[in-house]
Amino acid sequence: MSVLSLLLLRDGGRPDKAALEALGAGRVAARALGAELEAAVVASGGGRAELGAYGVRAVWQLAGPAGDYQPERWLTALEGLVRAAGAEVVVLAGDAAGRELGPRLGHRLGSGSVTECVDFRAEGGRLEAVRPVFGGKATAHVRVEGRPAVLVTRLHAFAPAEPGEAGAEPAVHEVAVELPPADGLPRVVERIEESGGGVRLEEAKRIVSGGRGLGGPENFALLEELARVIGGAVGASRAAVDAGWVPPSYQIGQTGHIVAPDLYLAVGISGASQHLAGIAGARHVVAINKDASAPIFKVAELGVVEDYRKVLPPLIEELKRRLG
Amino acid sequence: MRVPTRQVYWNIPGHEWMYALFVVLLAVLAWGIWQRASLWRLGRPARRLDQPGRRLAEMNRQVILQARLLRDALSGPMHLLLSWGFVVLFLGTVVVFLKADLGLPVMQGPFYLYFQSLTLDLFGALALIATAVAAWRRYLERLPRLSRTVQDWVILALFALILLTGFVLEGLRIEVTRDPWGLWSPVGYLFGRLFASFLSVGAMRLLHRGLWWFHLVIAFAFLGLIPFSKMFHILLAPLNVYMRSLEPKGELPPMDVEAAAEAGEHLGAAELTDFSWKQLFDLDACTECGRCEAVCPAHAVGKALDPKYVVLNLREHLHAEGPSLLALAARARSAAENGPAEGEGEAVSHLVGPVIDPEALWACTTCRACMEACPVFIEHVPTIVQMRRYQVMELADYPATMQEALTSLEERGHPFRGSTASRLDWAEGLEVPLLSRLGGAEGLDYVLWVGCSAAFDERNQRIARALATLLQRAGVRFAILGDEERCTGDPARRMGNEFLFQMTARENVDLLRRYGVRRILTLCPHCYNTFRNEYPRFGGEYEVVHHSQLLRELLASGRLRVTRPSLLETTYHDPCYLGRYNDEYEAPRAVLGAVAGGGLREMERNRNHAFCCGAGGGRMWAEEAPSQRVNRERARQALATGARRVGTACPFCMTMLEDGIKSETGGDGSVEVRDLAEIVEEATRPAS
Amino acid sequence: MPERADFLHGGLRMRLVVGLKYILDPEIPPRDFRIDEEARRPVQGRASLVISPFDENALELALQMKDRDPATQVVALSAGPASSEEALRKALSLRVDEAVRVETDPLGEPDGEQTALLLARAVQRLGGDILLVGRQAGDWDRGQTGPIAAEILGWPCVTAVSRIEAADGRLRLRHEGPDGLEVVEATPPLVLTVTNDEANQLRIPKARDILATRSKQVGRLSLDDLGLSPEAVPPRSEVTRLYVPVEEHQCEWIEGDDAEAKARALADRLMALKVL
Repeated sequence: MSVLSLLLLRDGGRPDKAALEALGAGRVAARALGAELEAAVVASGGGRAELGAYGVRAVWQLAGPAGDYQPERWLTALEGLVRAAGAEVVVLAGDAAGRELGPRLGHRLGSGSVTECVDFRAEGGRLEAVRPVFGGKATAHVRVEGRPAVLVTRLHAFAPAEPGEAGAEPAVHEVAVELPPADGLPRVVERIEESGGGVRLEEAKRIVSGGRGLGGPENFALLEELARVIGGAVGASRAAVDAGWVPPSYQIGQTGHIVAPDLYLAVGISGASQHLAGIAGARHVVAINKDASAPIFKVAELGVVEDYRKVLPPLIEELKRRLG
Repeated sequence: MRVPTRQVYWNIPGHEWMYALFVVLLAVLAWGIWQRASLWRLGRPARRLDQPGRRLAEMNRQVILQARLLRDALSGPMHLLLSWGFVVLFLGTVVVFLKADLGLPVMQGPFYLYFQSLTLDLFGALALIATAVAAWRRYLERLPRLSRTVQDWVILALFALILLTGFVLEGLRIEVTRDPWGLWSPVGYLFGRLFASFLSVGAMRLLHRGLWWFHLVIAFAFLGLIPFSKMFHILLAPLNVYMRSLEPKGELPPMDVEAAAEAGEHLGAAELTDFSWKQLFDLDACTECGRCEAVCPAHAVGKALDPKYVVLNLREHLHAEGPSLLALAARARSAAENGPAEGEGEAVSHLVGPVIDPEALWACTTCRACMEACPVFIEHVPTIVQMRRYQVMELADYPATMQEALTSLEERGHPFRGSTASRLDWAEGLEVPLLSRLGGAEGLDYVLWVGCSAAFDERNQRIARALATLLQRAGVRFAILGDEERCTGDPARRMGNEFLFQMTARENVDLLRRYGVRRILTLCPHCYNTFRNEYPRFGGEYEVVHHSQLLRELLASGRLRVTRPSLLETTYHDPCYLGRYNDEYEAPRAVLGAVAGGGLREMERNRNHAFCCGAGGGRMWAEEAPSQRVNRERARQALATGARRVGTACPFCMTMLEDGIKSETGGDGSVEVRDLAEIVEEATRPAS
Repeated sequence: MPERADFLHGGLRMRLVVGLKYILDPEIPPRDFRIDEEARRPVQGRASLVISPFDENALELALQMKDRDPATQVVALSAGPASSEEALRKALSLRVDEAVRVETDPLGEPDGEQTALLLARAVQRLGGDILLVGRQAGDWDRGQTGPIAAEILGWPCVTAVSRIEAADGRLRLRHEGPDGLEVVEATPPLVLTVTNDEANQLRIPKARDILATRSKQVGRLSLDDLGLSPEAVPPRSEVTRLYVPVEEHQCEWIEGDDAEAKARALADRLMALKVL
């Protein structure tokens, strides 16, 4: 019995954050089931011996080049790798690629999938995925009927795997999979550079984020300034994005960027559960809101009940002074 | 002794030519009036001629006594003297006509002396003074509400010239004819003495003859100008007052949305022909006095809305487009008789955009200050809302945040998009009975209709808590609907979504009927107004009480006892939908008087002149430019009283004023804003 | 494929099918949210049902394409109980050309796999060039329906699309990819899952159109109509437990006489966290 973590790496690429999360989640699943952890890597080329340090026993990887990420082609690659490996459970990290490939893979394999997993546990010898539903207002345990169950994590819900005691070098299997031609498939023709937000949010250690309570786009300038002072990024709630105050790349929440900063400073954000779901991984949540009953205070460690317009300027001055 | 009189047409040989001019004048007048009046036919039907007794009484108050005009301590008397001056002078002319053309012996004896000479002379003099005051206000004081266009100075000049030449003519006649009763016309007499001091008798005779014709021509010119200028109001204002709406002030004119859609009519006003004839009549009745502009809160803070120019722009549009619309209508009629016409496209001559700035349209708080100020009873708010109706119901083109509010109202039963509270949060720990548990309203004094603002706004939940506590303290038996309550639909109606309003109203009436609710207590003047004035048309007849009224009663009867009178000096802000819309100015003041030992300091604009907080008409959910916030202006007015507390009786006013006071004082907490219920709750807390 | 290339210019009518899920209001206050643990589903109570927010964005994108080319047809499709017809009525009031409900009553509450199969079969039956659905439904947040429907239809799938432009006979799709915001070029047939953007907030219906909707019919398709039996649509997953998590949490309130004092106190506490 084995658990297969899927690592969506480009040719020659080393394990990235998402890959480590897939390994971390895979290890949780393997422990719950008492199974062995294996890994399947899309990328070709290069030995994967280093994965042994993460407790991986076997590595399945593409014999030929995978090329740039293209969902239809990579899906075929994954299907080939998983079929060759024959696992009980397949785990993907829930980044944009994992979210779009996981359900399709589950269907192709004739089994099924669960997305947004935050934990795994065994129930009667079978693995159940724990996941928030209804925007985080409830928690569900979900079991996939067929095998292998395809489980997609909620980003940052699992700690990334860390190299442990150097285990045995994993067996590396190269699998030849014929990928569909790229002609006629959707292809990326342009990347859009954004002034703020973007993937940087997911990496940011400090985030200052604004919501409907800001009252208008012009007030984000205060947040930008505070973010500059503390060396952080600026994010927003969906309400602020839908109002058109900031571009969607700023959006933090279950359906925006899922973030895990050391410090999350929520300004004028009431804390709809779908927003809270996106910041569950934050170490310290600090909220400024004039409404003391706002749900954001239910997850905040520090709370200031005050009009942010009155707090931010002195706060910025104070922090400037202290941080030099 | 000779009977006092004078010779008519003295020194005017060939005065018969006057009749020719008079015929020309009549023709011009008739043509002009016809020009205007025919355009009113573009409007839809409206019933405005019923209940003549009531209508005449108001007409007497406003036209004869000019009650509204007299609210302005200078312009009021000015207008009274000017208008009555000309009426009396006109009557004098009629007397001349009776004598000269009908041969009636009316112009003689004491009547000639007291009325025809003295009274006319004095009224003329007063009118002349009033003309000077009018000129001073417009050109020297430069009152902002008054415009200074060509017609404005032409008309003032005509007033002055007609009056002055009249006096000179009178004086010259007295001098030349050595009129023994000349002193009965003292002002004219003085003018005569003046001219006699430097002119010979022959010169005066010559001057008199020339001036007589000049006087005649400018008087006729003035009369002829009436239908073509703002002076049309001389004829239309009294009629407009007579035809004013007798419906409750708080009810917007209803429309049958379904029938209109079925009949292919516009929902709301897209173009002139969607208005009623009375609304078009309103436009021509406008005197351009600008009183509406002067009181408009949106205008005061620099927004695009100016109620005067809503009327004037529509009027200009009516005069420019009306004739071609009439021709179009005639063609359509003949086409209807001769079978359907070919390819007659639906060319809509849109109002919003080309004629009315959309920003102005959405800036209106429906506070009704303009209608309250208008001396000729023009109905600005219904006209504005009717144009909104078209924008909302046919084009779905209106400010995004207002759309969100209405979508929330439709989907979630309240307009507070994004609220995380539940309908019952405010009542936590209070043990307020739910109607659904009781099964019905039997045995209850009131059903407390909490309203969305007090349920969903964290600050305003305190108002609901205070009121419920007071009711329990006074032993009032009440229950709430809890999560069965929905918005009354007021924001939808004021924003122009009549369809959504009516749907909501019917559902609410049904719900209240199921529970047998007869008596409703509200803490929100908007809910109060809707139940009281708008639901009866949907079959919902209730006894509706606003909490200020109930609190007055509970305090007066001793069911609530003041244990710790509040010593803060307080000013009171009149909510528009309690005051101007429902004439309740005194109950809140009585309540404050009973509990506030600190005394009541009135703001300059209070009662029916109160300045809106800025939340009405859906503005609660509109984005506001920081420099154009009505609530800050009202907060400044409240602060100017020096009071330490602002009392109000409306949760929307609360939100606006608290924000305004915070902004104006820098949030130093020196001035607090409290609802009456909160003030009373504190003052009647049992001593522990 | 070649005849598809000029569909936007050559008068080839494009037919867009938009999947709409009618769900328990996701904005329901946490306090009002209750669960029937036995049945493993939420209790509706007095809460409203609404169109799932991302499905609204999908519908808006389809309507925008129809605005630009009136020959475009938009079909609103919902797989759900009879109450879902409310969602379809709303779509009709926004002037979609057709509205069809797939009756799911024999299936109970379908999971993502089941819904995807029903939608895909309905698209095959009704005809369509593009299937648009929200990136995930606002109730179970599964995000499976669109991608799996693409598998069943054998069409490419582009996820998290926020804008659609047509250029040179192709669609330019702005979407959130693994490396951030990018533009993907694609040609139908396609499945698109849609995410929110300030430019795809669903328009609001006009009263006149709502009234006109009263006389319009919502089409219905039974499993039978789709050539399916309940056994042919098995669930692939099972919810074994559903509960409201209990969270014990205490927020430390930053106090102060005025905003400035609070700002100073907050700065102290932030420094003490040692994350700056």
